[in-house]
Amino acid sequence: MLFTLAAVATFLVTQQTDTQLPVRPGTRLELSNPHGSIVVRTWAQSAVRVHAEHSEGDQVQITSGSAVLTIGASSRHGMSEEVNYTITVPRSMPLNLSGVHTDIDIDGSEAAVSAQTVNGDVKCRGGKGQISLQSVSGSVALQATDGRMDVHTVSDEIRFTDVQGEISAETVSGDVTLEGVKSSDVEVSTVSGNVLYNGTLLDNGRYRFSTHNGDVAIAIPDKANAAVSVSTFNGDFNSSFPVSVTGSTKQRFNFTLGSGSARIELATFNGDIKLRRPGQLRDEDEDDHDHEHDHDHHDHERQ
Amino acid sequence: MTDHWADRLSEYVDGELRLQDAQALEAHLASCPTCKAVLVDLRRVSARARALDDTPPVADLWPGIARAIGVVAAAPARSGRRLTFSVPQLLAASITLIAVSGGAVWFTTHRGVPPTVIEHVPTAAVMGATASWTGAAPYAAAIAELDSALQEGRKAGRLDTATIGVLERNLTIIDSAIAQAQRAVLADPGSAYLNQHLAETMQRKLELLRGATSLAASRT
Amino acid sequence: MGNTAYTAPTFSGDTTTTAEAEAADVALAASGDGRAFERLYRAHVARVHSLVRRMINADVADDVTQDVFIRAWTKLSTFRGEAAFGTWLHRLAVNVILGRRTVLGTERARLTSSDVALEQVPGRDAPGRNELTIDFEAAIERLPDGARDVFVLHDIAGYKHEEIAMLLGIVPGTSKSQLHHARMALRRQLDR
Repeated sequence: MLFTLAAVATFLVTQQTDTQLPVRPGTRLELSNPHGSIVVRTWAQSAVRVHAEHSEGDQVQITSGSAVLTIGASSRHGMSEEVNYTITVPRSMPLNLSGVHTDIDIDGSEAAVSAQTVNGDVKCRGGKGQISLQSVSGSVALQATDGRMDVHTVSDEIRFTDVQGEISAETVSGDVTLEGVKSSDVEVSTVSGNVLYNGTLLDNGRYRFSTHNGDVAIAIPDKANAAVSVSTFNGDFNSSFPVSVTGSTKQRFNFTLGSGSARIELATFNGDIKLRRPGQLRDEDEDDHDHEHDHDHHDHERQ
Repeated sequence: MTDHWADRLSEYVDGELRLQDAQALEAHLASCPTCKAVLVDLRRVSARARALDDTPPVADLWPGIARAIGVVAAAPARSGRRLTFSVPQLLAASITLIAVSGGAVWFTTHRGVPPTVIEHVPTAAVMGATASWTGAAPYAAAIAELDSALQEGRKAGRLDTATIGVLERNLTIIDSAIAQAQRAVLADPGSAYLNQHLAETMQRKLELLRGATSLAASRT
Repeated sequence: MGNTAYTAPTFSGDTTTTAEAEAADVALAASGDGRAFERLYRAHVARVHSLVRRMINADVADDVTQDVFIRAWTKLSTFRGEAAFGTWLHRLAVNVILGRRTVLGTERARLTSSDVALEQVPGRDAPGRNELTIDFEAAIERLPDGARDVFVLHDIAGYKHEEIAMLLGIVPGTSKSQLHHARMALRRQLDR
């Protein structure tokens, strides 16, 4: 018993590294952490603060080059074990973060962000410019991002909230939810999952939402100008406002709203396509009821 | 006639009703045999649940977990050549796939299973079945190459069990989607949507395999 | 609405290690000791695996259980010891399960309304069923997701409605009514 307690005392002290160094504007951060977590926050200083929790065998190494600041860890025994980083960087510092069994959480960046992990979630609040977020087994969530967003995961959901800019999002098994989006170019695809879009539909914009197994729900504002193409092999089309179909084949039909300047493609193989007004989509999102039918809507049955 | 106390019986069992409500319900119980019987049942269901034992898995999962958390890996590097096929190329591949003998032969050569039953189209089957058709050759070759690279990565232990599991599950999901799309195109070969959807789903498989291979290659 | 303090759920599971020894193992595992983590695994796998089986199904239980422990390993450094390790692990398991269910859940998404599905839970007169426990567990598995989640978390795992509401993203009122639905459906499994 005494021995056990002594062992506890030794191991309760996990190593901590805490250091700060100045950086020149324009320097990029490269951080690779195979195992653990990466948390990035920002401040107004021209300096980077590195706080890391790791086992005592590991050592955090920071290499400061002319344009790049590189952070990693190594160990006496070869590769490092789990490290949990909290890095505070200047807002304009571009970030290139990678991991394997790693969660990544970024908040407050006003620069380009690239974050990749395999088994872990990626959360990015902020980011400006080229944003590339990737996981395999983990979700990706963006909020208040402004730029070109390229987001991939395989087995989990993707969520955009209040972002602006071009969007390309793909997952295989997971939902993709986009809310509060301002964009003129959105391409979303999943194989097994639902897609929900509640954002702008700008003139001359291009919007494509596709799934194989799942529903596609989109909120269309009153004054939208769009040429819409709806495709489904095995599912229903359901709109809460009237649409007049201009051309149709067995699996696809088109209709025009307003001047038809934006192009919208909604496609699901096994699943329903739902058109709503913005307020309605939010409400329906919350509860799982059968489709509500408006008297005037056009219900196009699929075979 | 709905007995509004019936819905609150569970709360009563769990002691969540306020004193007045509990007393009112008890008064009701005195004269309602239905509710009394339900109450007894609810208590028994709850007790049965509490008595349930937890049983461990049959297999020992520890080795898999140990491998997953003990694997030493560098960060995945973005390497590997890009393999993209234009939609027309994929369309050609898929249409050629179907054009030969109306598709029925293609399905049966693989497993002798009637077309309607197939849910999973293993990569090897696609490769084997399409290798001889010129339009489909580049796609099939790419799939075959990536597939074997992925198997190498597995054997060499460069991919941990958990990630392999995720990739395989999702490959199965895509394969199933491809199979469904193929059946649909078979039934309606002139459909622009179906052909396009099939082509895109095949492209997704390519991309997933490509991503998986670069993971396998870079993690040592 | 009032009370937001939760009491940790109590478990009827086996705890062969004492609380102290477990705390030592947690500290060791948090700093990278694989063998300590293996001891924690052995002590808790039955409960986690059973939870996964009951909330999803037996087919994916092995997989998801592995995911839970892998995630627990990577998150161990965030465990501050305010609750018992088993409580923390259980909550993490619930989150992994719910996350995984979103992935698998498309097939279930087309369920008819709860009432119809509940009526399909067969009674004990269904042919070929002799083992009462198997009946009962199988009946639990056939409940629709919402009712099943709440039943498993409340009646089996011992969570309170406020905590269940937080975990599942519903309001406590819904949790209570789902629990009631589940229990009512499972009545048919009782011998008379």
